[in-house]
Amino acid sequence: MTITPKRLGVKFSLKQAPRLQPDDILPIFQRWIQEHTVEGMLIDVIDYKHVPDGPGVILIADEADYAYDLADGQVGLHYIRKRDLPDDFAAALRLVFHGALLGAQALEAEAPADLIFDYSAAKINFLDRMHYRNEPNIFANVSDEITDIMRDIYGAAVSVVRVNEDPRRLFAVRVEALSDDHDLDDISRRLSASRQSA
Amino acid sequence: MTNWKELLKDQIPAEMANLIDTYEAQMELRKQGKLDEKVFAEARLRKGVYGQRYDNGQRHDGVRTRELEYPSDEIVKGPDTLWDAPGMQRIKIPYGGLTAEQLEVLSELADEYSDGILHITTRQDIQLHYVHIDDTPDLMRRLAAVGITTQEACGNSVRNITACTLAGVCHDELFDVSPYADAMTHFLLAHDDVQDFGRKFKVAFSGCAGHACGLVKMHDLGLLAQTREINGETVRGFTVFVGGGLGTVPHQAKVLADFCTEEQLLPLTQAIARVFARLGEKKNRNRARLKFLVAKLGIEEFRELVQEELKIVPPDPRHTDYIPRVSDFVNAPAKAGMALNGAPLPDGFAEWYRTNVYKQVQSGYSTITLNTPLGDFTSEQGFELADIARQYVGDNIRLSVEQNVVLRWVADADLPAIYRDLCAIGLGDANAGTIVDITTCPGTDTCKLGIASSRGLTAELRTRLIERINLLPDAVRDLKIKVSGCFNSCGQHHVADVGFFGNSRRSGNHKMPHFQVVLGGQWQENAGSYGLACGAVPAKTVPDVLEALTERYVAERAEGENFQSWIKELGRKEIKAMLQPFTKLPSFEENPNYFSDWGDSRVYTIDDIGVGECAGEVVSLFSMEISKAESTHFEALLALDDGDFALADENAYKAMVLAARALVRTKHLDVGDDYDNIVEEFRSRFYDTELIYDRFAKGKFARYLFKRHNETPARINEDYAHQIIDETQLFIENVHTAEQRINGVIVG
Repeated sequence: MTITPKRLGVKFSLKQAPRLQPDDILPIFQRWIQEHTVEGMLIDVIDYKHVPDGPGVILIADEADYAYDLADGQVGLHYIRKRDLPDDFAAALRLVFHGALLGAQALEAEAPADLIFDYSAAKINFLDRMHYRNEPNIFANVSDEITDIMRDIYGAAVSVVRVNEDPRRLFAVRVEALSDDHDLDDISRRLSASRQSA
Repeated sequence: MTNWKELLKDQIPAEMANLIDTYEAQMELRKQGKLDEKVFAEARLRKGVYGQRYDNGQRHDGVRTRELEYPSDEIVKGPDTLWDAPGMQRIKIPYGGLTAEQLEVLSELADEYSDGILHITTRQDIQLHYVHIDDTPDLMRRLAAVGITTQEACGNSVRNITACTLAGVCHDELFDVSPYADAMTHFLLAHDDVQDFGRKFKVAFSGCAGHACGLVKMHDLGLLAQTREINGETVRGFTVFVGGGLGTVPHQAKVLADFCTEEQLLPLTQAIARVFARLGEKKNRNRARLKFLVAKLGIEEFRELVQEELKIVPPDPRHTDYIPRVSDFVNAPAKAGMALNGAPLPDGFAEWYRTNVYKQVQSGYSTITLNTPLGDFTSEQGFELADIARQYVGDNIRLSVEQNVVLRWVADADLPAIYRDLCAIGLGDANAGTIVDITTCPGTDTCKLGIASSRGLTAELRTRLIERINLLPDAVRDLKIKVSGCFNSCGQHHVADVGFFGNSRRSGNHKMPHFQVVLGGQWQENAGSYGLACGAVPAKTVPDVLEALTERYVAERAEGENFQSWIKELGRKEIKAMLQPFTKLPSFEENPNYFSDWGDSRVYTIDDIGVGECAGEVVSLFSMEISKAESTHFEALLALDDGDFALADENAYKAMVLAARALVRTKHLDVGDDYDNIVEEFRSRFYDTELIYDRFAKGKFARYLFKRHNETPARINEDYAHQIIDETQLFIENVHTAEQRINGVIVG
């Protein structure tokens, strides 16, 4: 049985370079706290835009963080679930994927012309070196299960690739849907359904 | 292997493992409500586990104050500090010295327990923010496995011992102070004589009098390298400064001793610590730093007390054990030194070379400073920096009090290549040590005491100054700016040319963030003098204030005149007049922008200010010591549950000895760690005198200790383990009751 990592993150990148700067995101996240726009107990906003390729601007919540993330040279929405992850790995991955999807969609709604996410691919970060050292055997152990889960989510074949081979780095995979005809509403429905059944 | 404790058990020194296990047991006791919240708060702080803004469960969202309903909202980790609220983990890096491996582990921890950012403090520590307390024991174990401790990083204890980043490579130093800072760190860590302070105690070393690096004059204890000719030999030693400090009321340190030899260094420090523990203020934490004691007694009387104390400091081989190893201290290059070879230089290299490169005293080598914005770097940069260090300098990495990373022993021929590599990871910015390289505390971003956004202001000033750095005259470029979010001076604003600290003013029905302008502080000569507070201006006017100040400085300064003397010449009255136009406050309707802080879109409020943990709670020595006995008893219970009866017995016995020791130390501080000695002192002071006697059971519970101490059990089974654990519980209760009867109050 695949172990659920202590923390799990999913990042969707923007399709093109954003016209919005991190400075523009900060008041959006502050307003999300006021209006409770996204799920979770929202605590605060922290600004790391001065750090190149860093976590950008983060909306800190108790269960999860929403980062307007600048890492890997790709601007995106990185949702990191820090607690209350289900023991069942498939349920955990679906939960985090759904959190990232909702966060990205909420951000997209703030500036539909400027922020367009590429939902056909995602980076999944396993923030748990105790159970997920970044080693080939770990990838071998979990890639099939990740592939199955993501195929269910996308309703299409997917590729799952290990992102970085440096054993010091976090274990992470990039998932890409191999078909262009996936529908975002369908994905959301499948994720909601699986969460309800869980 | 399913947990870090098991995985790393062979890599962590037993003493460090024991301290972490004790802390973890204290956490469990607190969660069960069996350990007083104030005692736990101080125990937690002494592990570097600090509170963070909004941990009282409230946050103003710009419209109203909202309750933050953390899951376990009934459990607190200190007064008004909720268990699940994110906190800060401070990690001690003695004299800022790091190895590549340590940097990698710190980066791993930032990834997994924090927000991916490592923050360098003004005391050469690393801080991780938004850490959950439940993660802290494993975080500490992973650090301990590579030789790093968080022990006494916060709380009323000896904080990280700092030293010049150039120690060992400097042209002006008398000798390398690093091994002395290292020896003192190890000597004082968890030492009995530093467990009963009313407040924190900060120590710094400096290799020379003239330059800033060590800042010894603003420390509780400052050690300035000196040499003397004695009997024809050059002898190493230190001028000893005491009673310096910034904070709300800055004090310049006084000279306690013109010269103390290296043999005298640790015993003298121990004597100072004992006098501070005995006579320092314990009730009013605002007057509890050593500077107040020195000011109250006068340096002469304080000196006499220390000299008297020195006579009764127990002999300890560790006082001098380290001295033969001083010359072996690692301060060596990873590669052979070579001059620049005339190859083409990368773009931007010349400017970077001018501001970020220091030619070492050792020919062919340089020390380089990485201009680290706001003291922050990512975990990814941490890994890449570790690779760069290994390639060029080995383990010669340091963190500076100006919140930068420093790489020493770069072969000059490698400078262009390392510059290229640093640029590739976003750490190749020029202008280290110039006006753009601003020091800042966390302020309202994460600090419970923050009044204004020091980091927001710093980021804004930095962005604006970088844009026009090439247009600034040298006299302005070389100014130092330091920013604190409140009057407590964590950003060290008193020792900057231009300092700012946060406060607030009212305009109509709204609060407006302000910064007090502090001018003319001296960074040189080890923080030689402090700046003048010249008036508060709205936060949003600070960039304009800075521009007005620097333009006038350039226009009016005499040839070669520095900023300090120009400010002194100008006088407070004239400065006040210069700031006057900036102090006019618009109404909210006229300019709402003035009513939000830098880097924060919310309408400004001071409602989020909480109770600081800088000082920790003042908790009696007995309370701290007995809590160790209780947590060890708890470990015995866990061992019993695991079926490890021998370990249960061992921990129960140890808990009884620790309880006895806690009581003995209320009367005799120097009882030490030897079980025989502790039990004997306990017997003569409390059993023979019947002070420990229970009203009904008389000396029965104390005899549980004597029995176990005198007789190693022949057979340890479950029944026996149960029994000794129960007896230990009764003995600990007996000690508590006796202490209350004898000494009155437990928690001060």
